[in-house]
Amino acid sequence: MGKFITIGERLSTTAPAVNRAFTNRDPEPILARAKQQLDAGAVYLDVNIGPAESDGEDLMKWAVQLLQSNFDNVPLALDTSNKKAIEAGISVYNRSKGKPIVNSADAAGRIENIDLAAANDAIVIALCNGEGIAKDNDERMGYCQLLLERGLEHGMEPTDLWFDPLFLVVKGMQDKQMEVLEAIKMFSDMGLNSTGGLSNNSNGMPKHIRPIMDSALVAMCMMQGLTSAIVNPNDLRLMETIKSCDIFKNNTLYADSYLEI
Amino acid sequence: MALKGLDIFKLSPKKNCKECGSPTCMAFSMKVAQGAVSIDACPYFSEDAKAALNEATAPPMKTIKVGAGDKELALGGETVLFRHEKTFVSKTRYAVSLCSCMDDATIDAKLAEIPHVDYERIGERMFVEMVYVNYAPESGAEKYLELVKKAAALDRVLVLGCTDVEVAKQAVELVKASKPVLNGADASNYAEMSAVATAAGVVLGVRGADVNELYDTVAALEKLGNKNLMIDVGVNSVKDAFATAVQFRKAAIKDSNRTCGYPSIVRVGELAKGDKHLQAALTSVFTMKYGSVIVLDQMTYAEALPLYGLRQNVFTDPQKPMKVEPGIYPLNGADENSICVTTVDFALTYFVVSGELERSGVPCNLIINDAGGLSVLTSWAAGKFSATTISKFFAEADIEGKVKSRKLVIPGKVAVLKGELEAKLPGWEIIIAPNEAVQLVKFMKDLTA
Amino acid sequence: MPFTAKSGKFNAKINAVEVGTGDKKITIGGENVLPFYTFDDAIANAPKVGIEITDGGLDNEPECVKKFYEGCTSVVDMAKKAATFEGVDFLSIRLEGGDPNGLNKPTEELVALVKEVAEAVDLPLAVCGCKNVEKDAELLDKVSAALEGRNAMILAAKEENYKNVGASAGLAYKQIVGAESAVDINLAKQLNVLLTQLGVNGQNVVMNVGTAAAGYGFEYVVSTMDRIKAAALSQNDTTLQMPIVTPVASEVWGVKEAVASEADMPEWGSQEERGIDMEVETAAAVLASGSNAVILKHPESVKTISKLIKELV
Repeated sequence: MGKFITIGERLSTTAPAVNRAFTNRDPEPILARAKQQLDAGAVYLDVNIGPAESDGEDLMKWAVQLLQSNFDNVPLALDTSNKKAIEAGISVYNRSKGKPIVNSADAAGRIENIDLAAANDAIVIALCNGEGIAKDNDERMGYCQLLLERGLEHGMEPTDLWFDPLFLVVKGMQDKQMEVLEAIKMFSDMGLNSTGGLSNNSNGMPKHIRPIMDSALVAMCMMQGLTSAIVNPNDLRLMETIKSCDIFKNNTLYADSYLEI
Repeated sequence: MALKGLDIFKLSPKKNCKECGSPTCMAFSMKVAQGAVSIDACPYFSEDAKAALNEATAPPMKTIKVGAGDKELALGGETVLFRHEKTFVSKTRYAVSLCSCMDDATIDAKLAEIPHVDYERIGERMFVEMVYVNYAPESGAEKYLELVKKAAALDRVLVLGCTDVEVAKQAVELVKASKPVLNGADASNYAEMSAVATAAGVVLGVRGADVNELYDTVAALEKLGNKNLMIDVGVNSVKDAFATAVQFRKAAIKDSNRTCGYPSIVRVGELAKGDKHLQAALTSVFTMKYGSVIVLDQMTYAEALPLYGLRQNVFTDPQKPMKVEPGIYPLNGADENSICVTTVDFALTYFVVSGELERSGVPCNLIINDAGGLSVLTSWAAGKFSATTISKFFAEADIEGKVKSRKLVIPGKVAVLKGELEAKLPGWEIIIAPNEAVQLVKFMKDLTA
Repeated sequence: MPFTAKSGKFNAKINAVEVGTGDKKITIGGENVLPFYTFDDAIANAPKVGIEITDGGLDNEPECVKKFYEGCTSVVDMAKKAATFEGVDFLSIRLEGGDPNGLNKPTEELVALVKEVAEAVDLPLAVCGCKNVEKDAELLDKVSAALEGRNAMILAAKEENYKNVGASAGLAYKQIVGAESAVDINLAKQLNVLLTQLGVNGQNVVMNVGTAAAGYGFEYVVSTMDRIKAAALSQNDTTLQMPIVTPVASEVWGVKEAVASEADMPEWGSQEERGIDMEVETAAAVLASGSNAVILKHPESVKTISKLIKELV
């Protein structure tokens, strides 16, 4: 088993500072946030440029080249609903540190992103939902099968589809949490990789609570076989939990200084 | 090897018809992988797909039995590539080779030499378990058959190295009851050789000019229905032999390639071309990496002592501690008046401590306690090396009747036992040794100076 | 249908560490496959063989080794002679006379000897301490200073003295730092981390992860090395990608099988043969487990292992 793969989520247009920097092609704030995340141990960085309908291709190329040239070809997740922007990003992407991730496909309107990933030998995050959130695991796994078949048809390695069960917010869907965990176990039993926006569980909770909930959940998820997550790597408690779980899972070898490396 | 749901899903009909009771083919595949339902619950799984799955769940490497009666040896049957993953199950066996090309004097000398190495180490008998009898056409069949008979008299499992079908047939006929290996199939003779081996009920060794020919010949033999095989990794070069041994084992275990899943024969004597130290080095390498039967030109104590120790280590069960027999071990010519030293029966502790005591040159009686095969601190913590157990052992083994000395050195790590021991073993002077075995040499010298 | 094997080549590789200077310089490590798996990919640098002498000179050698040094009257003579034996890639001098529990030779005396040896031979050098951690902290510091510019392997920094040895050998005098642990995979990793945190360049570190003579708990050695190579190559654990250097001689020439006299064990036969085979078989096994260099004593062992490596790489 490989180490748990963290995808840093802090380069997102939803953050006003990042949005401004993307719009003005201002490298400084982008590089600063990227460095903070990498220093904290992020493996991949997610680059969320939003819908970017007008200048998506140019913006994604700029962002990919900026980040990879400054951080030793750091591997990236290209996150936008603009397919042409993803393709443009991949066209300038250096794979020496890992394949690009297409973020994301689903079993409804965005299923073609699987074809896009297949055509470009990329990884794709496959959201197990259709028009809405799956009502139970039968439906969720039905989507999983649909997405997997689509990938296999297009010649993808099954391990290049990273299935996202869709993490649900506790405040409102507390009774569905165990189902998500069971779905992860099913992906893992199938030999499939998985990922997701784990911190969604703690949306709406007080700021000091969120790291606690996120850490507890990541530990439970890793036990179930989750192989990756989209996280805030600057959440120290969360990252320490992930590193500790990687020790228990024998994904990394223990040394007294394991938290520092 | 356990199948993943994904492997089953790939072969499934993907109809999502729900007739099996599961909502999707994927859910069904997962349940099959977990063993929760039988694959027969699906009416649409093709016979080919089922056959492929059965094949995939078979053990990756066959266990091949050679020899008869109490000489029977199991070879192969491994499930992992590294010993830390799981115990290796079948240890490497060593054979010494004879050849009909040798003159009579050489043959007689070798026959006399083979039984020479025979000793016990931590409960295991160490000896040459197999004899390889090679046929050289220029010697003629008669001489070879005579040699086979002579070799059989040594009462070890035989490997008949012979690619001539007619000669092989006669040789096998002579000794088939002892279940030898017939190492003689190649691309040109495999069908006839297979018939000979099958008729006699013996294992067939397969060789090839290169790895591809070898692989094809094994596949052809499997097609004939013979899966009672061994792989001769050949003598083209050391590099090729190592590559074949490792690649076949890897393909069998990691890629489930059943055609590679047979034990190996490595003829290191021929690979070393008469360099006996190189032969020793190669035997070591192939003991580590995937030789099932290793054939040497000779086995003296020089080769054997490190080799059998290495094998004992590599093939030990990581879950089971290696123990030595409890009792009194007199060292450096000790007698009943020599000082006593005690420690636990964990093999590694025994070897390290006895080695250092021997280096000190001081005569002493090493008393090994029954401590469950654990190290000093572990057995102490488990209550298996305490003043009570030591004094009990002294009584049971009648140490006081056998030894006159009343000085007892105990490991420094259990210095705390001194007081209790003095109480439980009246008349004994308890002396505390240093913490580490390496410090014993100086300690013993100072103690008796 | 030809045999098709999946390649076992890894994306990660073991660090390639240069030792020594000039024409005789050697490179240890650099491979991206398991030991001797040339069918997966070419091995960047074949494993190297060192020969060991000690500050004790001839008196300190087993009888069967002495004859190879006939005519030598000093340690320096022995070093010169050792450099001429077939298959020798580097010279290792073990300063066991420094041990406070043994001869307790003064540091200055040993450093002067190392300096003399270094001037007499142009082979890459390894210097092994006396195993006493306090004494080694001082001794290896002075040795590192004396060998400045020789790019020598300093064996070794341990958990107890890595700060002194690391700072001196690694930082002040730019030697190759050996990190020594005793068949303890977590400590092996931890020492590398600590040395790097101290500022030592990880590319200038080699590991001695401990060894045993064949038969003496060697299973722990096998599993330690197997797991280190697995972490380094398949998990790309950069804190374990340092090449492994294994001093074999000092382990094997102490065990009964190698040293028992023919008078004591008549059925065992020639003591020299037993010593050589114990050394050769142990060395072959540690190389097959992943050592990138071994240090041996008997010239015949050196020649044999060098030949084995040539046959396999």
